[in-house]
Amino acid sequence: MNPLKNLSVIRKLVQLTTFVFFIYGGFLGSYYLADKVSGALPALHCAYNMDGADLCTLVPFQHQMDHRLGPIIAQGGNLLMGLMPTLITLGTFLLFFVFLNKAFCGWICPVGTFQELLHILGQKLGLRRTGSLDEETVRRTRPVKWAILGLLVFGFPLLTGLGWLNHDMGDPFCRICPSRILSTLAAGDTSQLYVDTATTTTLFWSLVADFLFGLMIAMALTIRLPFCRICPMLALHAVFRKLGLLRLVKNPSPRCGKCGLCAKACPMDIREIHTEMDKHNVTFEDCTLCGRCVEFCPDKDVLQLKYTVFPLFSADPQYFKVRKKAQTEWEKKTLFGNHAQGVKKSGAKPT
Amino acid sequence: MHKRGTPLALLLLCTLTGAPSWAPAQEARPGASQRPPAGGAHPMHQRGPKQFSLANSAGARATLWKPDLGRIPLAIDNGILTLKGTGVDNYHALVIEQDWGYLVESIISYHYMRGKPSGRSTTELTAARKTRLEIVPQPVPREHHQYETGERWGFQVRFDGRPMAAQTLTLETAHGTTLTGISDAEGRIDFTFPDDFPSLIRGERNRTLAAFTLSTRHLAEGTEYISHLQGEYRPNPRHWRSLGLGVAVAGIGFAAGGLLTGFGRARREESA
Repeated sequence: MNPLKNLSVIRKLVQLTTFVFFIYGGFLGSYYLADKVSGALPALHCAYNMDGADLCTLVPFQHQMDHRLGPIIAQGGNLLMGLMPTLITLGTFLLFFVFLNKAFCGWICPVGTFQELLHILGQKLGLRRTGSLDEETVRRTRPVKWAILGLLVFGFPLLTGLGWLNHDMGDPFCRICPSRILSTLAAGDTSQLYVDTATTTTLFWSLVADFLFGLMIAMALTIRLPFCRICPMLALHAVFRKLGLLRLVKNPSPRCGKCGLCAKACPMDIREIHTEMDKHNVTFEDCTLCGRCVEFCPDKDVLQLKYTVFPLFSADPQYFKVRKKAQTEWEKKTLFGNHAQGVKKSGAKPT
Repeated sequence: MHKRGTPLALLLLCTLTGAPSWAPAQEARPGASQRPPAGGAHPMHQRGPKQFSLANSAGARATLWKPDLGRIPLAIDNGILTLKGTGVDNYHALVIEQDWGYLVESIISYHYMRGKPSGRSTTELTAARKTRLEIVPQPVPREHHQYETGERWGFQVRFDGRPMAAQTLTLETAHGTTLTGISDAEGRIDFTFPDDFPSLIRGERNRTLAAFTLSTRHLAEGTEYISHLQGEYRPNPRHWRSLGLGVAVAGIGFAAGGLLTGFGRARREESA
């Protein structure tokens, strides 16, 4: 298969380009926050990386809850003035988000790219990978991202701004975010991988952050996108996903009930892509618009990535055949030679 | 009275109110709460005016440079200088000059102010020529960051906007350290901030700020120019943060991840 006609290869090229841009883009002249691309990127990228080209929207949200909205509520000030910076940040976020929707996760996010590269490494090392998580695990995991968004991005920072919590609770998500450690390490800065003994709170958060980072690396070697499943950015995207111009649409076929390859190919284990027979827009809350379900759908135009009403990429039987063959070949190749190492529970053998 | 060959600055800038600035460093009480008081007294979130006292301020002129390079003359009242917000955010440059004819002395300091987004880069502010002899941070610590001990930071010395090679610069800290260096062909010089905070206790956070002054002098057309860049630095968090422990905990997380996925797979295979 011509790699440049392989959607997954094209996506990897975009991911690698944006990874380099966001991690090292500061060298192009965006050292100061005022020079950053948006200050409200709809993908995880850390403000602690001084060399980065942008920072994710969750950073200003926490900051505004702690230093703006909270104090204004506590002092009985003008609520609208307290909310204004948050509304400006949200507006900036939406300006970007509307263009690409949740594809910021599947095509742009450096943390997602890192996990996918680790998964490829796991495959090339010949590790036994888990193709799809079981339904119960997926069901139990899904609410976690909402809890993190509600508590760590908005709740605790707001309580801190109100004066109810200590200052070290002002940016709790940043304190545990793997992007903080990943993006700084990638830029050659080890200052964010630490255990902080300053206070009980900093000790707790730093232990959680380091443990989570190690956990994510180990899990990503054998499980697809482990951190993405609990990422609050995914939850924030889910709130506004109906506004995005890019979307995943389904034109169900009677064969859909028997197939299920789309769900097996999905790195987020969204089984509803397979079972949903009524909705046209199937950009579900966990979808990252990576397009793998479209690639591995064997029926003509049943699944499509559409930009408004224009199909960008549609399921095609010919593409499916070639793509599946290419995937099988890719799976056979490991650093220790060619061998068909099984992937459990996945007919599509996704990587 | 100013005299030729004065070894040190005669203008002296000290903070009276607002975020601690040029005043001698005060150590935080061990175990004291790090929570800023209501209203957000975190240096970067200071919204109220700051006051400075100027010693030997007769004839001194103070100007505040806004991020858009607009200039606001500031009154010095009996040696007291009040710095109010301009309504826009980002770094502003406070420039104080004193011209005695044979001696021109200047102090420049950068202050972050809150307000509406300025939409301007601090690069514009540092690039602008504010005094004939000027020490320019390259860069100013990014918003919400500060100079920290053990860190290496770059500065450029310029005269009439042009870089000055082989110029001697002296860095003096409030804790008594003096470092001297010579600028390179591009007028650039790097200094590593000394780890000179007294009473640091390993493992305990210390967010104390201390002042530093970077100075240089130049004789041109019979006039001596002295320029100072003033700022603040603080102890490096490495004093209460451990990289080794961080790596160890990440390693434990890695091992836990391996076990978790292994057990999960075994359980699924068993149930299948």
